[in-house]
Amino acid sequence: MGGTSETISSTFIEYAIFIVLLPMLAFPIILFLGHIFNGNQTWVKSAKEGGLIALPIMVASFILSMLLISEFIGAGTGSHHIGNWLSFGWIGEDGMTINEKVFGVGIYIDHVTVMLLFIASFLCMLINIFSIGYMNTDPINDNRNHRFYAEFVLFCSGMLGMVLADSFLWLFIFWELMGLCSYLLIGFYYEKPSAAYAAKKAFLTTRVGDVFLVIGLVMLWNLFDSLDYAIVFNEDLIAQVDPGQLQLALGMMFIGAVGKSAQFPLHVWLPDAMEGPTPVSALIHAATMVNAGLYLVARMFPFFGAESMHGELVDLAFIIAAIGGITAVMAAAIAFVQDDLKKVLAYSTMSQLAYIFTGLGAALWLANSYDWHTDDKAHGIVVVAFGAALFHLFNHAMAKGMLFMASGSVIHEMHHAHHDLHHHDDHGDDHHDDHHDDHFDAQSMENMGGLASKMPITATAMLVGSASIMGLPLIGGFWSKEGIIANAWRVALEDPRFFLPAACVLIGAAMTGFYMSRMWLKTFAGKPKTEVAANVHEHTPWIPIPLVTLTFVSLSSVILAGMMFTHWAGEPNGGYAFFGEKGMLKGLIYEFEHVFVNPDAFFFVLTYVAIFIGAIVGPGLAMALYGGSLKDGEKAKPWMQPIINLSSRVNAKRGFDNSAWANSGLSNALKERLYFDKWYDAAMLKLVAGFANISAAFDRNVVDGTIKTIESTSQKLSTQVRRLTTGSARDYIMMAALGVLVIYMLLEVMI
Amino acid sequence: MIDPAWVSVLSAILFTIGLWGAFTRKNAIVVLMCLELILNAANLQFVAAAIQHGDASGWVYAIFAIAIAASEVAIGLAIFLAMYGQHETISLDDVNLLKH
Repeated sequence: MGGTSETISSTFIEYAIFIVLLPMLAFPIILFLGHIFNGNQTWVKSAKEGGLIALPIMVASFILSMLLISEFIGAGTGSHHIGNWLSFGWIGEDGMTINEKVFGVGIYIDHVTVMLLFIASFLCMLINIFSIGYMNTDPINDNRNHRFYAEFVLFCSGMLGMVLADSFLWLFIFWELMGLCSYLLIGFYYEKPSAAYAAKKAFLTTRVGDVFLVIGLVMLWNLFDSLDYAIVFNEDLIAQVDPGQLQLALGMMFIGAVGKSAQFPLHVWLPDAMEGPTPVSALIHAATMVNAGLYLVARMFPFFGAESMHGELVDLAFIIAAIGGITAVMAAAIAFVQDDLKKVLAYSTMSQLAYIFTGLGAALWLANSYDWHTDDKAHGIVVVAFGAALFHLFNHAMAKGMLFMASGSVIHEMHHAHHDLHHHDDHGDDHHDDHHDDHFDAQSMENMGGLASKMPITATAMLVGSASIMGLPLIGGFWSKEGIIANAWRVALEDPRFFLPAACVLIGAAMTGFYMSRMWLKTFAGKPKTEVAANVHEHTPWIPIPLVTLTFVSLSSVILAGMMFTHWAGEPNGGYAFFGEKGMLKGLIYEFEHVFVNPDAFFFVLTYVAIFIGAIVGPGLAMALYGGSLKDGEKAKPWMQPIINLSSRVNAKRGFDNSAWANSGLSNALKERLYFDKWYDAAMLKLVAGFANISAAFDRNVVDGTIKTIESTSQKLSTQVRRLTTGSARDYIMMAALGVLVIYMLLEVMI
Repeated sequence: MIDPAWVSVLSAILFTIGLWGAFTRKNAIVVLMCLELILNAANLQFVAAAIQHGDASGWVYAIFAIAIAASEVAIGLAIFLAMYGQHETISLDDVNLLKH
């Protein structure tokens, strides 16, 4: 045990490693049991093909995480806790281990860790519950769910390990473990060419980023001779480092984050990753993998906040924010025209992650430029800016996890309704192949509509999730999104370059309002567009549990806001207790005042502009285009009916024909995802294939050519030489005589 | 006493005849005889050197070489006999076993 600088002896930190170890150990267990008992009735019915083995593991992980988190909060100081289990140092000349950790296993906990840990363990658990409902009732998955659950727990272990890692090296190891699992899970239906292609694409695209991450880590190692957080975050050591080199190293690592979090220009893998089963989409897009990149950038905060780096790293902060701004608008625009329910959510994910990147970029800029170590006001601004980005990460993870699970619920019930309608007669038959022998697309919103009355739980979850993503006042993402927009503009007022990301996130708010409303209205409002949609029922067990839970979590973010979550989450050095100094009610009043009646006129106006375009303009346009009342005689739940009524009224009054826009070049370009995939494919063909051809030619002509030339020449030579071997004794005598003559002459010449 | 230079000249002539014969003749026995000529040329050279330097070891070497030549002839004739038993010829043109 024991270890470096700020190790705190505590009860649960000793067990924290089990948070990672339990799922990791469950991986081989589920896999082998699955292979042994595949098809066994007990295994299928009682163990849910591994689902009920994975669930207790994930619950245990979650409970341990909560214990660790509560202990961290209870410690109150908010400082860093470090636990070490194994520590290897160099062996000194006297045979004693030098007290310097070179490589070891430990955990590092601070405010960022705690938040990600909660998100990851909580959502992994809920997604596990959802999977039992979703995967095990789908005949297409029969007898292979153990593979799903095994890969699932390994994935969770990767995420939890990455969050708890105490060095960038372990972070990278778990990062890659996740990459592997995402490849396996996206390609779960590997017999489908599109799924296999998507898996490869996701793997290779993130690999591009990972190469840069490795380069960044090597550069960091060169600067610090270590990748341990305890060492690299030490202010004294940071002070000895050349800022330019540090910026380059961090920039390289940021490219890795761009790949993992699917930001422009490495975003192309994420929409295709929808080929995996829906729980995987939820897992990859909400809970875990895409947050890894954000986590990595958030981890860089101590570098930006260090006094010695003052004003030196603003360029990188700008790049982070700019990448975020560009992606936010681009992804939102593409989401406008997607008809696949899950693809809308995929682009929404990209867009929202981009928001967080912008927020982080702004926070890092502030931390780097403000004199926040001494100035209290600056300190507060930096903390809230960083906290807002982290809070959005939290809100987005919760909302998006819920949205994906809700979309999974819709798709699942659409499948079942389709199955019941078209295969009712031969119900007893083997129904393995009925998902592929016709071309009904259960994911297309063109086939849905009017589901609000038929799937009340799902529709409510989707509604709250969408509202949270849109940032409707008081719900979920509202608190954090306002913070991100405000801070982006705050930086823009001082650094004009930031107008680009600041404008992007503001426009993005309206776009988010539009595409999320469009998705909800197309799916749940209006009249059913197909016979299948008219026959949907919500009756799969297990699925509602996570939906209801997350609905309440998203709704209750107002409580978190009242707990000064943004202050607490962003505070790197402690100082704020969890409830702030003010207590719940006062904290809430403070947040309300801060958001709605900001004394600064600029931010006051900005807030209401953001609310106006995000909550009225965007959704209003969507209503005008896609609104509509339900089928006669059907009523949604009372909290959804007014929205549907409003949408149908807006649609009737302001409804306009958008066929001109729908057929425009821009719309087609968006449908083609702005041609990124085509460009990349073309670039691949030209560059990679061209390079491959050149190397192949080099290999054939130069490498092989050399060897072949040597070979053929020696063959020719040997045929020549062989002619001398006549077999006639007299020729040999002649040779011998000639040889003697030559030796004689050589001796003559030399002597 | 004969001038050793003349002995050397005779030795060179004998050697050349022997070499030429060894290269050109087909019959193995003739080739063997040519080889004997070459050996004897060498013996004469030893003798010439012994006379020139007044050193007896040249004579001794010559005696040695004669003894070795005698045993060589014995072996050579035995080989030719065996060759004749196998190939029914002792023409060197027809025997090229070394090639294989």
